[in-house]
Amino acid sequence: MRKNFWLLVSFVLILAACAPAAITPAATEPVNTPTAGPTAIEPSPTAAVVEPSPAPVELLPMTFMAGYKPQANLPFVGVYVAKAKGFFEEEGLDVTVEHSAGQGQHLQLLSAGTIQVTNQDAAVLLQRRADPGLPLVAIALLGQKGQQAYAALKSSGIESPKDWEGHTVGYKGTPPPDLFALISAAGADKDKIELVNVGFDPRLLTEGKVDVYPVFKSNEPYLIQSWGYDLNLWAAEDFGVPSLGLTYVTSEEILETQPELLTRFLRGALRGIQYAAEHPDEAIEITLTYTGPETDPAHMRFMLDAELKDAQSDLTAENGWGWQTQEQWQALAGMLKAEGLPVEDDISGAFTTRILEAARDK
Amino acid sequence: MNIQVEALTHIFANSRLQRTALAEINFGVKSGQFVALIGPSGCGKSTLLRLAGDLLQPTRGTITLDGRKPPEMRAAHEIAWMAQSPALLPWLDARQNVALAQRFMPANRHPRLTVDQVLERVGLSDAAGAFPFTLSGGMQQRLALARLLALEASLWLMDEPFAALDEISRERLTTELLDLWQPFHPTVLWVTHNIYEALRLADRILVVSPSPGRIVGDLAIDLPRPRSEANPRFQQILAALRTALGSTANAQVAQ
Amino acid sequence: MNGKRKSGWVALIIVLVFLGGWEAAVRLLDVPVYILPSPSRTFETLAANPQMYLQASALTLGESLAGLLIGVLTGGLLAVLLTLLPGLEGGVMTLAILMKSMPLVAIAPLLTIWLGFGVVPKIVITALMTFFPVLVNVLSGLQHVEPALTDLFHSWNASRWEVFRHLRLPTALPFLFAALKISAPLALIGAVVAEWTGASGGLGRTMWLAYTNLNLPYLFAAIFILAAGGMTLFRLLGWLERKVVFWLPDSRES
Repeated sequence: MRKNFWLLVSFVLILAACAPAAITPAATEPVNTPTAGPTAIEPSPTAAVVEPSPAPVELLPMTFMAGYKPQANLPFVGVYVAKAKGFFEEEGLDVTVEHSAGQGQHLQLLSAGTIQVTNQDAAVLLQRRADPGLPLVAIALLGQKGQQAYAALKSSGIESPKDWEGHTVGYKGTPPPDLFALISAAGADKDKIELVNVGFDPRLLTEGKVDVYPVFKSNEPYLIQSWGYDLNLWAAEDFGVPSLGLTYVTSEEILETQPELLTRFLRGALRGIQYAAEHPDEAIEITLTYTGPETDPAHMRFMLDAELKDAQSDLTAENGWGWQTQEQWQALAGMLKAEGLPVEDDISGAFTTRILEAARDK
Repeated sequence: MNIQVEALTHIFANSRLQRTALAEINFGVKSGQFVALIGPSGCGKSTLLRLAGDLLQPTRGTITLDGRKPPEMRAAHEIAWMAQSPALLPWLDARQNVALAQRFMPANRHPRLTVDQVLERVGLSDAAGAFPFTLSGGMQQRLALARLLALEASLWLMDEPFAALDEISRERLTTELLDLWQPFHPTVLWVTHNIYEALRLADRILVVSPSPGRIVGDLAIDLPRPRSEANPRFQQILAALRTALGSTANAQVAQ
Repeated sequence: MNGKRKSGWVALIIVLVFLGGWEAAVRLLDVPVYILPSPSRTFETLAANPQMYLQASALTLGESLAGLLIGVLTGGLLAVLLTLLPGLEGGVMTLAILMKSMPLVAIAPLLTIWLGFGVVPKIVITALMTFFPVLVNVLSGLQHVEPALTDLFHSWNASRWEVFRHLRLPTALPFLFAALKISAPLALIGAVVAEWTGASGGLGRTMWLAYTNLNLPYLFAAIFILAAGGMTLFRLLGWLERKVVFWLPDSRES
């Protein structure tokens, strides 16, 4: 009995020793080491920060949290490239990149002040400002057009939203406002359309479980097409419905207390975006150091190209990446209100061009 | 150890009902006497035993052991308890089980018998390193007896210890028990349902009637041991015992 | 071949037949890899990324073990406390049930805000999941000692501490193992789920990344690892149980 007691004790001690040993080498950093596939860029993103800077300059630390897992969304790519190419360092910033799981923690952490900048969809930003009243401010509007669209298999014969009548149309989460706006703008009767709550699973479309599937323009179409299917796509803006995409977002408090920090960040990130537009292959290679080996480089390239396209408009041609105007935001707010969603009456506090202007004047 | 019981009453009560287990019991036991308590189920025999062993405190009346109260005697390790279940610790082997009994002895008590000597007396020397789950029911009870012996107490309280055993084991252990008891002659209070067992073992049989428990018979067994059923005196006492038991309500005479 | 070894072979054969059937079905029915990958494809993926999966498994395993250890210690110590101070049982158990009932999905982000992005919130979540079975089972074991044995110890005039050490603790051991057999797989699941809702590494994160890319071979490779890991843990516990709680019939060889 005594010997068995000591057996139990040794088991517990081994357990206790194994646990931290297993945790520490794996560390808590994202998979930053280049894995099989992309060749390593020098310097690797972490090395850029770890390497001691030649000049005795104190780098200001800050944290950018990507609103989703590592992938080639334009706001992420701007940061990845700026970090890899040393743009942030040149701005005197030491930027830590974190990733959220996409369930809203990034907004909570921003409001709590744990992180300084994240990204958010413009329509969601307006709604969160109204309810529950998060103090979010967009400092740059990268997605001049909205991210979402609706897709049907070409083989289904569904040519326009009018044809959606008598079919099933999926939505993720709650039915988005632009869906109803699109349906009425296309002259279809929404009561003749069966709406179905779907999750992220484009296989529902290819396996025929749903006739029309909600996609992120830069994401699912690539997957579906790689499986050998052709698609018809419809987006809100094609039918005159206002829509905007991703923004760089901060909190009112940080905007108030650390505008200099935000300016330097934005300058670096927009330089990163410019660089990515000019050197997309390199930008993808840098992005792949953040993603794991389960990511397809061609998928990431598709994503980057699609988002770069939507980031460009007459406004940005004149004023540079990320420009935003009262008209754009007002139109979006109007659409949301018309669909019965909570929006502030005065949305001028939801965005600012201050940081964009400061970043422009170097 | 002699026992004096005076006006002993015990009532079990909870918020809803009350049951008188023992009512005004009076008797005395001389030191070294082997007393069997017999009666139908639920007549309070076990309660009486538990009161003697300080596992219960009486509602009214007194029990004195050598002039002192049961808690004192328990603290002095003068009381040995054995129940129907052998109550062996399954994670200790035979020797360790017996040794455990001696472990709790107060510092001023030095056992005369070693663990191995005790095991030898009960015939379990070969099984000293065996664990209880490898032993038969009979051997387990024998080990419990060994443990009892190791305590060297002057009062043995035994609550139907052989009731769960088969006939053959019971016969054998009854004989062995007497062999173990006779050299040391502690006072024994033995609860049983089995009249033959009582007749074979005891110097004296107290018949207890149920609801509430009262002593309705007190027979002295003046036969030398070992006792045989062929003996006419045995049959006489058996008849007297049966009569006494018959007078108890719901008599259950074990065969 | 004795009973245990034979059942081991039978189990292996069943697994191989299952995998074989799965492989055949995928090939014959021409199932696309993004619907259901074949076992061979899954194993290929595992073999092609040994370092990544090793790192991820080590991290998740580390989180599980750490959480399990904390959960077991917490549950066990609480059970001991409640045995020594029975008056606290009602209050503590109510709190414990409250904590147990809180949905993981709601707590995990809160813990991330309070405890940061690293492994600590994962360990806390795992500990939360594992402590309750241990508390309930060990408490039961400590309390449900055979009355005949408590009578015996009482007759020996043993102190409360002696009763605890010599009687209650050993009695509680089989109950502890019963709880461990429940808690160990829970710990693994807990770590994976905690990672799923936001992590920088580990099998849960790998699975989530793979799923959102609809890269099923990577997803299934992680699932295989988890299944093998859970099974190994269970067998290890069974072996340990047979050694420590040797006196109980179902832990003994027939």
